[in-house]
Amino acid sequence: MSPTAALIKAALNSNFGWSVVRHRLFVQKRDRWMVPLIALAVVGVVPTMVLYVHLLGAAFDMLKSLGQEKALLTLAVLAGQLIILVFGLFYLIATFYFSRDLEYLVALPLKPSQIMLSKFAVVLINEYLTMAPIILPALIVYGVKKNGGPGYWIIMPLTYLLLPVIPLAAAGLVVVGMMRLVNFGRKKDLLIIIGSLVLIAASLFLQFGLSRAAGTSGLDAQAIIALIGSPDGLVQTIGRRFPPAIWATRLLHDGLLTVSGFTGFALFAGLSILLFGGLMAGAQRYFFGGLVGLSERSGVRVRGGKALTIRFSSGRHPVRAIFRREVRLMNRTPIFLLNGVLGVIMIPIVLALTLSSSKQGSDSADILRLMTSAKPVTGILVTTMFMIVCATLGGVASSSFSREGRKFWISKIIPVDYRQQVLAKFLHSMAIALLGIGSALAVLVFRFHLGAWQWLSSLALALPVTAFINSLNLTVDLARPLLDWISPQKAMKQNLNVLIAMLLDLGFLFLYGLAFIALGRSGLSLAVVIGILAALGVGLACLAYALVRQFALRRYPSIET
Amino acid sequence: MIEIDHISKSYNKGAVRAVDDLTLTVPSGEIFGFLGPNGAGKTTTIKMIVGILKPDSGTIRIAGLDNRAEALRCKAMTAYVPDEPEIYERLKGIEYLNFMGDVYGVSGGERRSRVEHWLGAFELSRAVADPIQTYSHGMRQKIILTAALMVKPRVLVLDEPMVGLDPRSSHLLKEAMREHCDGGGTLFFSTHIMEVAERLCDRLAIIHKGRLAACGTMNELRDLAKDKASLENIFLELTES
Repeated sequence: MSPTAALIKAALNSNFGWSVVRHRLFVQKRDRWMVPLIALAVVGVVPTMVLYVHLLGAAFDMLKSLGQEKALLTLAVLAGQLIILVFGLFYLIATFYFSRDLEYLVALPLKPSQIMLSKFAVVLINEYLTMAPIILPALIVYGVKKNGGPGYWIIMPLTYLLLPVIPLAAAGLVVVGMMRLVNFGRKKDLLIIIGSLVLIAASLFLQFGLSRAAGTSGLDAQAIIALIGSPDGLVQTIGRRFPPAIWATRLLHDGLLTVSGFTGFALFAGLSILLFGGLMAGAQRYFFGGLVGLSERSGVRVRGGKALTIRFSSGRHPVRAIFRREVRLMNRTPIFLLNGVLGVIMIPIVLALTLSSSKQGSDSADILRLMTSAKPVTGILVTTMFMIVCATLGGVASSSFSREGRKFWISKIIPVDYRQQVLAKFLHSMAIALLGIGSALAVLVFRFHLGAWQWLSSLALALPVTAFINSLNLTVDLARPLLDWISPQKAMKQNLNVLIAMLLDLGFLFLYGLAFIALGRSGLSLAVVIGILAALGVGLACLAYALVRQFALRRYPSIET
Repeated sequence: MIEIDHISKSYNKGAVRAVDDLTLTVPSGEIFGFLGPNGAGKTTTIKMIVGILKPDSGTIRIAGLDNRAEALRCKAMTAYVPDEPEIYERLKGIEYLNFMGDVYGVSGGERRSRVEHWLGAFELSRAVADPIQTYSHGMRQKIILTAALMVKPRVLVLDEPMVGLDPRSSHLLKEAMREHCDGGGTLFFSTHIMEVAERLCDRLAIIHKGRLAACGTMNELRDLAKDKASLENIFLELTES
């Protein structure tokens, strides 16, 4: 086996943990309970997928009636590539620069491009999996509805395989350049965070540009007729700011044996190869520079003169000490900070920006106000759910124990009651959740001009539910903490616990929403409905917190590191 | 002070028996050396003493307290230094020491005097304000040792504490170990350095394939072996498969 192939094989094995899973399931015979749980989670997604496929089918029929069914392909390709571009950035930074195995790999007789290739392969395969539930149904629905011949079914997987290459390679080039530029000086972590934020802002800008390009709200009746009149009208409108989506559409729709399809393929594959080649060339030149910069010592030691003044604390309460540790570890690990803290703050702001970028932005606020005045229960339900989702989507609680990684031994040996350790983690998760709620609240008040009564009611409902969800998510992570990770990304975004917790949270929120609507229709006054739901939330939060504390007493001693 | 009573620990659902019916007693005031080949069960035993691993059977008592039933009280009187210096890299050295001081309840005054003493001795005073991720292996080892010595525990459990230390720091640590036991404390440590074990330990145990191969003073161990020239010879003889 060539060194590159061996490296890619080892990287994939390490990332997906095939050897570890095989060992656990078949040698140690541990974690077998996870198999039915994962199967259950997959089955749980089926109803959503069925609904999604129905929606896609309806969208196809609607577009077909306008003679614009090709636009479904353009939308699918565009959506897939945008998802990769935006969400792939953190992943690329984490995998390229923060994997713990890099310090060993750098010492091996390997070219920077070989190491980069192995890391790129890991990200690429993860992106295939991430995109699959969103993009594959669209491509399959199109093929089935259009009665695509064998040609389509051969070209479709090929297009799917090529799909992430352009955005990933483009993002990779930017990341390699950025890391090379920011990796000097003392504040490299800060620079990485600022650089990442700039990249996210650029991605969002691109997204807004595309959404405006795809928007038809500014068109008059004549322009719409002209758009529909041309078979490629909608495809061109949607894809004009991102031509690869048009090329892929032509390839899929016309097939390889037509001039248009072959040209689409040549352009799509050509750009993919060009960007990928550029990334490898960039890696060969700049990858090690960025990497070495990261591992260099950043602290400034006073070599001569007076020693630094050392600040001793004087007996903080253990809960406060652990809370401070949690805050510091999260805020000083760029990947945790970006995913956990900045994520919850930014999502509501991104939403506000998205609506502002739309030409109908002002209407959205009007719709919400109208909805609130016509159906106050629905209005409060929407704003409460918005706050809860913004508060908890960072995965902070569901990765709380996993984030400790191989340092978990410290939590086992310190003379602090496990219940107190859980309290500190709960408080930390709540502190981050409050940032999310605050950000959501700011958007609701300043962007949607929500009345005080409504946001206060939503806040009263969202806070206890957030506390309940955080306790639930802590329980999920405590049940099976992922402690043996090499990249911090693995402890948060690639942590199965985060996914399991998210599915549980969604299930709970669905039931909570049903209860909300049922109470709203019961004829009780709104104040009583809110009172009942707030009391229910507080009760659930207390129960879940009590349970996670008791669970900690049982579970902590059996976690072995 | 440390009483290990018939403890066993296996992995892979019993396929690998790491520690097999081990019984040991380490009284107060004693430096106890724990020797054995790689994979003999030293680290597993140590992790069971400090509560990181749970024995499959048997009990461990610290100062007469069951280390599982009275876990918090046992932990409060024990400090542990692992073989791998895996600590919070994103904290500064002083933040780690303050964290350990807070959770062990070391008062501000005691913390300051002990930490300043050990930081000075280990030549870490200038580095302590830097993030731990900038430390070398030896510096990380020293900061963990400083934290353990700051706590001034009754029981010190050290897993290969000399690895990565420079000769001066190693010498200081040996002096500290002696001082700790002369003050009535107990010290349980594993090492592969036979000379250190031979010169420093009051008693020694050799573990092989999870079972106790020998335990006693240096003279008692000599009686068990044909080649009595050095601890290394005794060790090799007793751990021959």
